[in-house]
Amino acid sequence: MVDYEVMVGNKACAVACKLARVKVAAAFPITPQTSITEYLSELYASGEMPGFEFVNAEGELSAQIIVQAAARVGARSFTCTAGPGLQFMHHPMNDTASGRTPLVMAVVHRGLKSMQPDHSDLMDQSWLGWVHLYVENAQEILDTTIMGYKIGEDARVRLPVAVGYDGYVLSYTAEPVEIPPQDMIDNWLPPYKPPRSLFYDSPEAPIGRGGGDRGGGDPNMAWKIHHGAVEAAESVIKEVTADWAKLTGRSYGNGMIQEYKTEGAEVILTAMGTVAGSASAAVDKLWKDGKKVGLVKIRSFVPFPRKDFQELAGKYSAIGVFDRSIQPGMGGPSYREIKNSLFDTGSYPVVAGFVGGLSGKEVTVNDFVKLGEKTLEFAKAKKADAHPIWV
Amino acid sequence: MSERMTRPQIPLEEGVITPGSTCQGCGAAMAARLTFKVMGPNVIRHGIPCCPDQSSKSPSTGSVFEGGGPCLTGTARALKALGRTDIKAIAFFGDGGTYDIGFGGLMSAAQRNENVFVVTKDNEAYMNTGGQHSGGSPKYAETTTDAVGPNSRGSPVHKINAAFAFAAMNIPYIATASVAFPEDLMAKVKYAKDIEGFRILLIQSPCPVGWRYDPAKTIEVARSGVQSGIWPLYEIENGSSFKLNYKPKELKPITEYLKPQARFRHMTETEVNEIQVYTTAKWEKYLKADELKQIVF
Repeated sequence: MVDYEVMVGNKACAVACKLARVKVAAAFPITPQTSITEYLSELYASGEMPGFEFVNAEGELSAQIIVQAAARVGARSFTCTAGPGLQFMHHPMNDTASGRTPLVMAVVHRGLKSMQPDHSDLMDQSWLGWVHLYVENAQEILDTTIMGYKIGEDARVRLPVAVGYDGYVLSYTAEPVEIPPQDMIDNWLPPYKPPRSLFYDSPEAPIGRGGGDRGGGDPNMAWKIHHGAVEAAESVIKEVTADWAKLTGRSYGNGMIQEYKTEGAEVILTAMGTVAGSASAAVDKLWKDGKKVGLVKIRSFVPFPRKDFQELAGKYSAIGVFDRSIQPGMGGPSYREIKNSLFDTGSYPVVAGFVGGLSGKEVTVNDFVKLGEKTLEFAKAKKADAHPIWV
Repeated sequence: MSERMTRPQIPLEEGVITPGSTCQGCGAAMAARLTFKVMGPNVIRHGIPCCPDQSSKSPSTGSVFEGGGPCLTGTARALKALGRTDIKAIAFFGDGGTYDIGFGGLMSAAQRNENVFVVTKDNEAYMNTGGQHSGGSPKYAETTTDAVGPNSRGSPVHKINAAFAFAAMNIPYIATASVAFPEDLMAKVKYAKDIEGFRILLIQSPCPVGWRYDPAKTIEVARSGVQSGIWPLYEIENGSSFKLNYKPKELKPITEYLKPQARFRHMTETEVNEIQVYTTAKWEKYLKADELKQIVF
């Protein structure tokens, strides 16, 4: 039976862990992630999750290593953090991905220059070869956390998955969430089995020095394989998202991107995370006023929906990209990736790079209405203002 | 406390893979051989960067340099969650991974009393990378980052008394061992492996390259370390019960230990005396604790 509950984003995340039958969770409390850790502690204490091990780690560095080891041994594992905590995990996070260890980590966005949300924390980790998914609402947190295990544990991927969602505005905001029944999830998500058992009584147990895909004589090989795995995640994300839509009736576009009112639009806006909600309200308003502006929500940043943008490129005269982070001196990350994707297509819509919502700065529906109008102006002028256009 | 092991009780089978990548006379290679003779097959061995990188015939995993404690924690918790408590999470690390870069994580794992067994081969510096200072380096030892000159006399600080630091965590079992006392070492591994909770064995493992002595003399150097009281052999249970395993009637002078090692050759008579006084005073305390069968604090 499908259940409904009004819950905050962080609870939706903990409920997803329970539904995914997570075996080992380790975390260190950091605002605005803390209440996930508290919910997990309650789930452990209540005995609701039989066989579940919960570790109050002494810091994020250890939390990441604990779940990495647990996942290698074969336990489905979960951790969660935010902002500086994520930075503290950086070193072992590299090992988790390089060692091709599937697990899910919730990143409750807290920017790197304040305690308020922006996407700088997770963007900072984009070299490590994790799968990075950005979600918009509490329901999407629950759904994507469960999907994250299916994606990461897929033999074609075998990578850790970060599910990013904005702190405060989503982590601490209550929304109605549909809770899928346990047996439905059990059928859909079988228990995790590592590719190679570490148990001495298993014939596949590695003896001597362990080692992953080291690639024999070619020092490039580990990077080639890792790059290939992240690229392979794209089709798996699409498959799993379609499968989830069949299972639950909830659809998130093709998994990589989610389009909203793009049909017949002249230009499109892009957004990631919670601001995509405000952006879609703005799109409604713009269409009502006869302004043909669609929205593309970017769900997966790593791997980047390059193919999707290449297909979109020919259809619209301008793309207004909204980044909720900026790499100082380098610019907005999704702006750069989109421009990068379009170069080989031969069709060059005007691409405008808006940057805003940093350190929790509010971005309203009206702001997005203005961005839509500006993007239409840029399309007409066939030229955008220089990047970054601060919002 | 461990029970005396006799020579005929030593298993004939070997637990490490040979040949390894060790130098001649490597104390740590001896520590590995003795440890894995009695460890048994039902383990997951954890490694972190260390010297030498020993291979045992058991399945292994590992983590980042600072990750010993949490890596063991994750394994032990996963084994519990998966109902495989017949398999033990064990470590074979160096002194740096145990009480330098990895100290914090391991201390917290000890505080949580994780069900893990840590075996530390202590060669008193980062020998993997050419002998740099670690928390295991003794005072006045010359390391490649404790150069000797007008402003420096080698390591400026005493070696961390790691056993007592771990004792403060009230863990079930702590012991020290030496490669020169193989029966004692193996008896301790045998005893500790089946205890539930956090247990740690610190094995002094002389390094001929880093300590700069003739590789043929490893056992002699290790033995004089024990006989002079520099590296006493003892066990601590539950943070307080104490037993000294080797009690000579009279300690040998520490010069017997220091002299063959070129890392100490710059030491003045005053400095040697200082270490002698320090060592003797500590030894008195160990004797007292042994008499009381516990550490009083």
